[in-house]
Amino acid sequence: MTYQARSLKGDEVSADQLAASTSDSSAPAVIQKRRSLSRPVLTLLMVIIGVVFLLPLLWLILASFNPGADDTLALPHPFSLTNYHLVIHAGAGAAIMNSLYLAGVSTIIATAVSTMAGFMLARRKIRFKGLILILVLFLTGLPVTLLLIPTYQIFVDLGWLNSKFYTSLVLASMSVPFSIWLLKNFIGQVPGEFEEAAAIEGASEISILFRIVIPLIIPGILVSAILTFINSWGSFLIPLVLDANPSDTPGAVGIYQFMSANGQVQFGQLAAYSVLFSVPVIILYLISSRWLSGGFSFAGGVKG
Amino acid sequence: MAKIALRRVTKSFGSKVAVDDLNLEIEDGEFVIVVGPSGCGKTTTLRMIAGFETPNMGTLHIGGTLMNHVPPKDRNLAMVFQNYALFPHMSVERNLSFGLRIRHTSKKDINTQVHEIAEMLSIDGLLDRKPSQLSGGERQRVALGRALLRKPQAFLLDEPLSNLDAALRTQMRFELKRIHTQFPVTTVYVTHDQVEAMTMADRIVLMNKGEIQQVARPETLYADPANVFAAGFIGSPKINLFSAQVDHSGGQSVLHCLATAIPVTTEIADRLRSAHSETVTIGIRPEEIVLRSPMDHNPGQADISGIVEVIEPLGAETHIAVRVGNETLTCRTPPRSGFEVGSAINLCFDVAQATIFDGTSGLRLC
Repeated sequence: MTYQARSLKGDEVSADQLAASTSDSSAPAVIQKRRSLSRPVLTLLMVIIGVVFLLPLLWLILASFNPGADDTLALPHPFSLTNYHLVIHAGAGAAIMNSLYLAGVSTIIATAVSTMAGFMLARRKIRFKGLILILVLFLTGLPVTLLLIPTYQIFVDLGWLNSKFYTSLVLASMSVPFSIWLLKNFIGQVPGEFEEAAAIEGASEISILFRIVIPLIIPGILVSAILTFINSWGSFLIPLVLDANPSDTPGAVGIYQFMSANGQVQFGQLAAYSVLFSVPVIILYLISSRWLSGGFSFAGGVKG
Repeated sequence: MAKIALRRVTKSFGSKVAVDDLNLEIEDGEFVIVVGPSGCGKTTTLRMIAGFETPNMGTLHIGGTLMNHVPPKDRNLAMVFQNYALFPHMSVERNLSFGLRIRHTSKKDINTQVHEIAEMLSIDGLLDRKPSQLSGGERQRVALGRALLRKPQAFLLDEPLSNLDAALRTQMRFELKRIHTQFPVTTVYVTHDQVEAMTMADRIVLMNKGEIQQVARPETLYADPANVFAAGFIGSPKINLFSAQVDHSGGQSVLHCLATAIPVTTEIADRLRSAHSETVTIGIRPEEIVLRSPMDHNPGQADISGIVEVIEPLGAETHIAVRVGNETLTCRTPPRSGFEVGSAINLCFDVAQATIFDGTSGLRLC
């Protein structure tokens, strides 16, 4: 049986709630028991999710050392580096270098453009700023496939096809909208007094950007650069369509040579190639993790 | 060094008028303090001088040159910010030399000047440290040093002491005054602290609601406030302000206030009569009220009974709040005056020493 009572605030509370609120010892015990039951269940769930994500990676590593690998998860027998030898001789090194070129150039261009655009959008009074920002936000959601045909036509007209540099320009432009938003927000966090102090000391706009703002948002610039790099590194469709030169083939396109037209797949070589293709990104993460975890520090610059 | 002149300057943000028709001339080498409550437009005025805001109307001249649209970098001014604004990624030395490096001064000159200024401000041992490794006072000195090093046309200081503790603030007040004596550069200093204004300024500009209320030397501002706001803002403890009804009907003019009728001198009576003021606000400073035993009324002197409400002993002096009718008057007395809370007391003041303002406009009548 429950009865209705009124709390001090005037809202109705049930007898159960009253009992729970007045009992000193039983309520915490029940909560603790519930917690002790839910913890192993949650852990088990997380382990299952983890295994689901890790299994393909485990297959990738095991298969890369297995010359006779297929699509099943098995220990390499015999353990061999043959797959690695074969993919390196098949031009994996050159493909990775091409990927490095495309990702590197596009990262430099996109980061430079986005930093300057982000600075102006974060700090200066610009007419139709809100509209520009909405437009930039809209561009971040545009699918590559939508832009590819007109871009291809422009490349044909300008004679830019089969060029690594111009291809990396397109890759950069794909990352610029998102990077602008990211960097605009990072720059917005820099206290305005720093810029005003620099301006009154005689610094020009460009000097303020390079001497004050950029050094203060290095972690943010790194985040943006890494995201652009990874985006360009894994890009498949743009280099495939815009650069048909075989010597320019990047890693993401080159991976297809291990899948033949009649459906036969060289799983071992495919795995070894994928492992090699992942190494630069992993190294990049390791190097930048120190910066990324650091966050921004304006300590001592302004009080408050 | 330069003269700064603002003529008919107005600045609004949307529909809010921050500074309204401001006229101000700051002489060469003068130390002017702009003081007023929050939102009175003092910081906006300073930011317009610095070039961070552009006036909507009016002109701003620095050193005789029209500056309305000159960017901050070309105004040759130095500014100390409320929050220091030291560049956190640079050492003290690089913070100090920032302006010189921007101007491509030779390394040798930079080194000499930085060390000179660091020695003067006692921060020569901190040159390699980052701002985060400094105390509040040290940061403030570095910010001052950065401004001084440039040898600008004028210094602008935006509440530079507000983040320091009381002891350090007093010390820095002396320091700033000493520096200004050493380098008599035109200085515009913004604060909401009347003690800073009274102790440091050659002239005080008192602002409220975007308008200048009074521009005067500190002692003039205290003794001869132009209106009720000026009287109420300057002075600690605050001036006692209460309203009174003017009565010219009898043989002698009297002011009905504090549950009594205070006779006034003929001179005051004539001024009140010519101003046609029926209601006035009387302002009397706490030190001008004398607490004593009952005595004869003299023309021009008020003798009023009250009850001691609060006693605040401050060591060198004691503030006593006395309840008189519906008003509470604060009196400043010597220490150990022997009064007790709740006891009856007689207080008197010379109406000639009081400031009388028009009850409607708030402007000073006599």
